[in-house]
Amino acid sequence: MRPVWKALSLLAVLGGIHLLARPGLAEDTVDFNRDIRPIFASKCFACHGPDEEHREADLRLDDREAAIDYGALVPGSATESLLMERILTDDHDLQMPPPHTNDTLTAEQKKLFQKWIEEGAPYAKHWAFVPVTKPELPPVSNEAWPKRPLDRFVLARLDKEGLAPSAEADRYALVRRVYLDLIGLPPTPAEADAFVNDQDPQAYEKLVDRLLASPRYGERWAREWLDLARYSDTNGYEKDRERSIWPYRDWVIQAINDDMPFDQFTIEQLAGDMLPDATQQQMIATGFHRNTMLNEEGGIDPLEYRYYAMVDRVATTGTVWLGLTIGCAQCHTHKYDPITHTDYFAFMALLNNADEPSLLLKTPEDIKRREAMLAKIAELESQLPGQFPPADGEGELLQRREANFQAKKAEWLADARQQAVDWQTLRPSALESNLPKLETLEDGSIFSSGDITKRDVFTLTYSIDPAQLPLTALRLEVMPDDRLPAGGPGRAYYEGRQGDFFLSEFATKFNGQPVKLTDASHSYGKIGIGSGSADAANVLDGNGSTGWSTAEQEGKSNQLVLNFDQPITSAGELTIELLFERHFAASLGRFRISAASADGNVQAKQLPVEVEALLTRTSGDLSPEEASQIERYYLAVAPELAEARKPIDALRKSMPRYSTTLVMQERPEDNPRPTHRHHRGEYLSPKELVQPNVPQFLADESSPGPANRLELAQWLVSRDNPLTSRVVANRAWQAFFGRGLVESAGDFGTQSEPPSHPQLLDHLASSLIENGWSMKSLHREIVLSATYRQDPVASPELQAIDSQNRLLARGPRFRVDAEMVRDMMLKASGQLSDKMFGHGVFPPQPDSVTALAYDRMKWNPSPGEDRFRRSIYTFSKRTAPFAAFTVFDAPSGEVCIAKRDRSNTPLQALTLLNDAMYLELAQALASAAKTEGATNETIAENIFRRLLTRPPESGEVKAVLQYWNEQLQRLQSGELDPATIVGKQNSSADDAAWVMVARALMNLDESITKP
Amino acid sequence: MHWLQEQTRRHFFRNCGVGIGKIALASLLAESGMANEVAQADNASPFAPKSTHFPGKAKRVIYLFMAGAPSQLELFDYKPKLAEMEGKPIPPSVIAGQRYAFIQPDAAVLGPRFKFAKHGQCGAEISEMLPGLSKVVDDITILRSVHTDHFNHSPAQLFCNTGNGVPGRPSMGSWLSYGLGSEAHDLPSFVVLKSGGSLSGGAAMWNAGFLPSVHQGVPFRGQGDPILHVSNPPGFDTKAQRESLDLIRQLNQQRFDALGDPEIRTRMEAYEMAFRMQSRAPELMEFSQETQETMDLYGANPSDPKQAFANNCLLARRLAERGVRFVQVYHAGWDHHSNVEGGIRAQAKETDQACAALVEDLRRRGMLDDTLIVWGGEFGRTPMVESSAALGRSQGRDHHPQAFTMWFAGGGMKPGLTYGKTDELGFNVVENKAHVHDVQATILHALGIDHTKLIFRHRGLNFKLTGVEEHHPILDLLS
Repeated sequence: MRPVWKALSLLAVLGGIHLLARPGLAEDTVDFNRDIRPIFASKCFACHGPDEEHREADLRLDDREAAIDYGALVPGSATESLLMERILTDDHDLQMPPPHTNDTLTAEQKKLFQKWIEEGAPYAKHWAFVPVTKPELPPVSNEAWPKRPLDRFVLARLDKEGLAPSAEADRYALVRRVYLDLIGLPPTPAEADAFVNDQDPQAYEKLVDRLLASPRYGERWAREWLDLARYSDTNGYEKDRERSIWPYRDWVIQAINDDMPFDQFTIEQLAGDMLPDATQQQMIATGFHRNTMLNEEGGIDPLEYRYYAMVDRVATTGTVWLGLTIGCAQCHTHKYDPITHTDYFAFMALLNNADEPSLLLKTPEDIKRREAMLAKIAELESQLPGQFPPADGEGELLQRREANFQAKKAEWLADARQQAVDWQTLRPSALESNLPKLETLEDGSIFSSGDITKRDVFTLTYSIDPAQLPLTALRLEVMPDDRLPAGGPGRAYYEGRQGDFFLSEFATKFNGQPVKLTDASHSYGKIGIGSGSADAANVLDGNGSTGWSTAEQEGKSNQLVLNFDQPITSAGELTIELLFERHFAASLGRFRISAASADGNVQAKQLPVEVEALLTRTSGDLSPEEASQIERYYLAVAPELAEARKPIDALRKSMPRYSTTLVMQERPEDNPRPTHRHHRGEYLSPKELVQPNVPQFLADESSPGPANRLELAQWLVSRDNPLTSRVVANRAWQAFFGRGLVESAGDFGTQSEPPSHPQLLDHLASSLIENGWSMKSLHREIVLSATYRQDPVASPELQAIDSQNRLLARGPRFRVDAEMVRDMMLKASGQLSDKMFGHGVFPPQPDSVTALAYDRMKWNPSPGEDRFRRSIYTFSKRTAPFAAFTVFDAPSGEVCIAKRDRSNTPLQALTLLNDAMYLELAQALASAAKTEGATNETIAENIFRRLLTRPPESGEVKAVLQYWNEQLQRLQSGELDPATIVGKQNSSADDAAWVMVARALMNLDESITKP
Repeated sequence: MHWLQEQTRRHFFRNCGVGIGKIALASLLAESGMANEVAQADNASPFAPKSTHFPGKAKRVIYLFMAGAPSQLELFDYKPKLAEMEGKPIPPSVIAGQRYAFIQPDAAVLGPRFKFAKHGQCGAEISEMLPGLSKVVDDITILRSVHTDHFNHSPAQLFCNTGNGVPGRPSMGSWLSYGLGSEAHDLPSFVVLKSGGSLSGGAAMWNAGFLPSVHQGVPFRGQGDPILHVSNPPGFDTKAQRESLDLIRQLNQQRFDALGDPEIRTRMEAYEMAFRMQSRAPELMEFSQETQETMDLYGANPSDPKQAFANNCLLARRLAERGVRFVQVYHAGWDHHSNVEGGIRAQAKETDQACAALVEDLRRRGMLDDTLIVWGGEFGRTPMVESSAALGRSQGRDHHPQAFTMWFAGGGMKPGLTYGKTDELGFNVVENKAHVHDVQATILHALGIDHTKLIFRHRGLNFKLTGVEEHHPILDLLS
């Protein structure tokens, strides 16, 4: 590749370096990507680009052939080119770009066009869309400086600018920098000294390898990824209720610690569910795209918000892997990048064919615990007959007990037998619905999957043959299923209780004629949201807003029984229509219809259907197991045993619950979800169906391209895609240097500023792939480089030329991220817990933070070490994020963030100065630093070094001690109260003064800065 | 080291904020002959505030956001036809294809629950539930023809506040802070106050989105510190705080001298501003400076949480006086799915007097000319009744995005004007339709901003508050 950078005179760049490489007109040839495309993109493509809908005069300039056919370009002849005529004219009606747009071209730009056309008007692919090739290492002026190959690219660039790199940072700065970058925590003074005093020439390399192997590494780097994944522990929007997806956060930490290759990291997160024999971990990984928000507001159209989630998934995938603003093409064809409106929805279609369940995480430990408890329950149950009250009278207690048990059981049995109805399961001949897919399972029950709405209608058809006649009653069993939210029986997943349902109406027809049902009863009824009744009769009243529901019995069976007003006595076709109509989607997930031929009306029973079925058979027909099933049921309901059952009930209640996590599950082949193009991107304007694919301009013409999520994931990390490796390498660079080589980490499109070091970027990208996508190797390369190890001091000249350090003539220096601010203070104060993983925790913050949220969530600070866990484990509530993080620019998990803001504000000062959480850490820091027999100087130095790593200069110690003395006097004189400041009764003035020192030093710029 | 100071100053102007206003700084620095430099620094910065596109009458905004969506049919848009039709279903032709949150489209019509009368010289017709507002109708501008894209609270509130129904975009206050800077010296440029029930749109309504985070709205808390951590920790008096800051400054200065990183200088300034905010906040919250007459005008009483809205209106005026650019006052409690009559009665009682007082108070103080007051919810309510057995609702109204009413006062709006018209059922707008984006464009226009030019480039797109479709300020509303 030809070097594109021209030497820039210092004078020309004073006041800020222009990396857009203003081409001097003395440049030999015009480079399309460097010189022409940026002008086209910013001034012309909006009306003469890929977007057909907004194309003016039918002219497109993004396509060379089209521009030539039009006559806009006549290669080799600027004078004959219409384009030149229109940009040169003085006639305001003809001039391009139109004068009213204030986008007119400069004289220099016009000359560039002229020269380019004269040179044949060659087009070239945008740099980011060209396959990555490994560039040759460039020659440099100083062979001794580079430590790693990447340094040669940096130095070559500096050579061109006539600049020299900075000296290596001092060892204290270096050890602090590399600790913060690799593990997100500062070294202790002892750790820092160990490195500084290490004479081993390989000391730095060894330190780097040790840090890369630390479990803290995954905790630090997972945060970067969770910004992209828009991770949060709540659903967002109005109610912003908690969701369980922390297992995904833990997966990310573990995968990064394991240095899972980035290609695998990609595939598992986008399509782990589609891998052959997907493991539980691979399922958990698919939480990446379940981090979209969920609107639980009553009355929404759930499919509309699913669509918005899809829009987010497309945009996020574009940003994270492609560095493309695909989202721009949601409403119309992209104005600048070659992404058509149809491309956008084809890309959406790749991601749009999944169901979105919660996965039960049955860990071996949980399973074992549950099995042990079940065994204990079985044992206790077997002892129940032995606790039956004995019959009155004479004789052996055991015999009287046994006699009473048998007598009462027989009494119950006779009664139950008499009442038992012989229900026959009806097997449907046809199932229809407005949208969900209904299927019949082995046991004759019906299972619903796919999307549901606020008004679902199930139409079930049964062929009734003469053997079943007469039909006098119908029974609807609502049944649990592990695949349903909270185990079912309903499919409610927002607003209402998980697993709830609401049956509004139950209507029947026989041979097309309505049949009247009457005398409704249920085994249990309760409404989840609202004060209405859940009477069984509601399903027959013709009013959709009343109905039957079994709230709070999620995971359990219940039944509804309806009697025919007139028995059905002839064979024919029975149709049952179930209407589910609420202000949230709440249709049934699993249910079964049975029919009875009974004398007179029958009622719903508490009795389990299996037991009732056994009771209809004569006892001689029952197997011992079946007989025992009946007995077990009796033991579970016999009033005489109520007291004896209490320990069993208690055990059942304390059964450990499985954790859950949100996952993607590709739909079955027989029920794909169609994807349409939506006019102007609007949910309510679906147009033609689209087929899944990647944008045409990235597709390989010789192969069909990805057709599903898994193939998309594989394609993203394949050699066919020029973007992912560059985007990933650039983000890593950004994390270390504060700025990417491409400044817009989320946009590598034609409108983005080109990379400051294009060859360095390609070098990193190709090395990443060569090293099997090992992120640890990439990070290692960067931190071992001479570029990274430079001193951060900016000479006046350098500051003037390159205030943003884009030329990399010095080391990085910037304030650390929000979570790191807290983690550093935790470490410095000795309070940091190294406990990993699990449910989010609640460090202290004022109640008023979450009081602003819709649910006024009570923020109860975690007890014990959870109060001091690493910030990545802090519970993240979208509508009331942890305030001490927000103020330092932490995101709230609403959108994918490729680059955080880095502000410097008075509110940050107030937080570090006054937040009780930080004062508590100042107290701990002072106490930790005040070791036995330490002098004031050593205490001051200890506090200083725990926060800043480096030893203080003498002037600094002096200033600190002077402050300490002044405060001490005030404390001693009673002007200030030591106990209040230390937060402990009977504290000394001396201790309090050290707390004040610790607090002040925590507020230094350097305390929250990576040197 | 002159070069260094210069760099630092530039850097500072670019990056420092809580909206400690660049304009304010410019004016302060003008005295020391440094204003040009600020302008230069601003021009160089992607975060820089722009001067207005044309002279705007309004300099600041107090937005009284009535969360939950008040019924326009009970307050501003009188429809006797509904009383005639009460109990009958609405004609299917009217309702065809509409989506509703709770009701079914065949719901019956519900007549207006209150009497209406004409008031003031302008003869604006408003409800008997607004006796306070009826006294200042000649100062306000009523817009009866607003419509929106969303029919659920959270997205609709976000839409009004950020121009988009999904969280993540910059709020109007952030846009204004970004675009205009602040006149406030020691206060944020964008303040959020809240009373009543819960807010569906949440913190995303005052988020800076992709704008620099310093433009985020700062919520004043109803409990504890009004601005989070504005008080010293227990045991620290002002002197201790000052002396701590002196030590911090001294040590920071030494590092700055050694490293030359302008970010250190910015942090030093931020700490000094934090200290000034600490002394300014208590004074701001101290209502004892107000006369009893003023307190009575609003019905304010800081010790009575039931008067939270009135207190916030008065606080809004005090913030406006201190140069805060955008005060967002939320009052939640208007979501009357059931018993709309009782609900409106209660909420009007809680808010009417203070709303009118704010108009009156600003007028008396000569601040109404350059302060724009905006009043409105996120959508309207249905002409149809809502009742639901499951939810135990009756005599309510459901969400209605097709038509609702807002009003404005001051800031160059035409006083005494009632504008826009709905059909006889109050279902659709029939005259001078005003989309929420049009309203936003109008507010920007009043401030001297062309809404098509207040843009921020993000992820390859030029974003603006008013979205991608074409919208216009309603010039008829402006005098």
